[in-house]
Amino acid sequence: MTIDTPQAAPRKKLALKQRYELLTRDLDWEPSYVSKEKLFPYTSYEGIKVHDWDGWEDPFRLTVDSYYKYQAEKDKRLYAVLDSFAQSQGHLTLSDASYLNAIKLFIQGVTPLEYAAHRHFAYLARYLEGPAPRFAALCQSIDELRHCQTQIHTISNYNKYYGGFHSWSKMHDRVWYLSVPKSLFDDAMSSGPFEFLISISFSFEYLLTNLLFVPFMSGASFNGDLPTMSFGFSAQSDESRHMTLGLEAIKFLLEQDEDNVPIIQAWIDKWFWRAYRVSALVAAMMDYMLPKPVMSWREAFELYFEDQMLGGLFPDLEFYGIKPPRHVQDAIAEKGKLSHEVYKVLHNFSFAAAFTTQTPDDGHMAWLSEQYPETFDQYYRPVWEKHQRIEAEGGRVFFQGLPQLCQVCQIPMAFTEPDDPGSIAFRRSDFRGETFHTCSDGCKWIFEREPEKYVQAWLPVHQIYQGNCGGPTVPDVLAWYGIQDGDNGEYKGSPDAQSWAEWHRHPADARSLT
Amino acid sequence: MTVKALYDYDFPSADRVENFGDDQLVYVHWKGNLFLVSAATFRAPKAMPFGEFVSAMINPWASSDPDFDPSSMHDWCLFDESFEVADDRSLADLGIGHKALLTFST
Repeated sequence: MTIDTPQAAPRKKLALKQRYELLTRDLDWEPSYVSKEKLFPYTSYEGIKVHDWDGWEDPFRLTVDSYYKYQAEKDKRLYAVLDSFAQSQGHLTLSDASYLNAIKLFIQGVTPLEYAAHRHFAYLARYLEGPAPRFAALCQSIDELRHCQTQIHTISNYNKYYGGFHSWSKMHDRVWYLSVPKSLFDDAMSSGPFEFLISISFSFEYLLTNLLFVPFMSGASFNGDLPTMSFGFSAQSDESRHMTLGLEAIKFLLEQDEDNVPIIQAWIDKWFWRAYRVSALVAAMMDYMLPKPVMSWREAFELYFEDQMLGGLFPDLEFYGIKPPRHVQDAIAEKGKLSHEVYKVLHNFSFAAAFTTQTPDDGHMAWLSEQYPETFDQYYRPVWEKHQRIEAEGGRVFFQGLPQLCQVCQIPMAFTEPDDPGSIAFRRSDFRGETFHTCSDGCKWIFEREPEKYVQAWLPVHQIYQGNCGGPTVPDVLAWYGIQDGDNGEYKGSPDAQSWAEWHRHPADARSLT
Repeated sequence: MTVKALYDYDFPSADRVENFGDDQLVYVHWKGNLFLVSAATFRAPKAMPFGEFVSAMINPWASSDPDFDPSSMHDWCLFDESFEVADDRSLADLGIGHKALLTFST
């Protein structure tokens, strides 16, 4: 006997586009208990005018279920790579242990930014007025959290064997060179929601992502770091979605009202230079920290920025009345100098860093000379050769003191005049009777645009002198930073270099020693 | 231009001179030296004689470069103006204020 149970006819599955429409547009509602201004208090004070939030086009049309399904598959593949790399002692097949200095810089400097981005996109997912941009921000918020977590898992394997990987979160909040990326994000997060979109989604993730993020992943692939490379691939589709969000945000805002154009132009002017200054750390990494270099900073800058952005993107934006960023010519003028000036900073101060540095050897200098025919032999080779002479006699020069920092980018003031690689650029402003020093016309312009903001900068050197960083001596400060003996200083002879040599000793030599 | 905000945006400077008691910050730059990458920052008493500032603070820093010879320091400038040094006069007397930039050549 069978009992017929009444069954509802199976519901027709909606097409992705319809589900997306329902999820974004149709889940929105008109507030009745509070005014719209109270519900969204942050979307008007920056002066941006939006007339129609439905004008926001999200080309990805992602829904929650498709998002999770896709991300779970990617995670599965990534974690399989991580397991097999760990089980097969994959770290021994890196190009050299000194390569990991780039990855130390990454986990200390970049991973915490992913977390900061997660937090702020969650805020945008609540406070943007349109349902479509809110949903796009929600997806990006989850992406950023996932990136932070997967980067920690990817890189934690190295923490078992190498120095400098242990206290990156604390270091990010405290250490001098990490105040460079941290203060950029703090600057963006303390701006209004639209400025944040232009700063992080557009300037950081669209304009400069190929110079800020991709070099680490390419460096990983050239130097045998399969886990970091796999993370890069896994994040790639998210990053292209984030870039699209950046581009969509700027086009949407420009199309909404002509009055938005000068506001956005000023944000592009500011945030190009802010993000470009952070990329100086990446420039140093690319040219000096990779045992097998991918391409020079100069070549990357020409390809990814000059050709793709100045040659491709900005002619499109001209239609809206947007010009290339102010001070872009200064960045172009610096491309033969930037990496050298910044690596010299890291080399002078690595006694207080959670990575090590070394003087480039002759082969490395030959490569640099080839890549930088106009500048290297004249300005930088003599400096490195002097270091080589001192080190041949058993010395190692570190800067016996604390540097002067730029009030805006917080990088030691080591940048030279755009037309003279031989003299340091000093810019200064007076505000409320106090002197403020900046490293460039770009940083000076940013300071003078909003001096009330930048006078509050937490400059690591000044904070040490105010007694806020653990004590007056270098060991006090290093302890407060969370830097342990051997994390810092010179690479040659460091614990990492010694372990590496030990692990790669020829079996015959190893036997003869026992 | 000022910061756009939803409230009165008024905060003190993080490095105002009051935060350093009887001391102040002074920056010193060795012109033309590309071996030491940037100017140095010092915290020094306003009443410290210039000669002592040089011997106790500048010289140990500049000696990071093994070619440094203290007797060769000349052509001092305070910001962009050339500047007459006097070893027995204090920083304050010489007009070297908080966050002033001194430069010298060798």
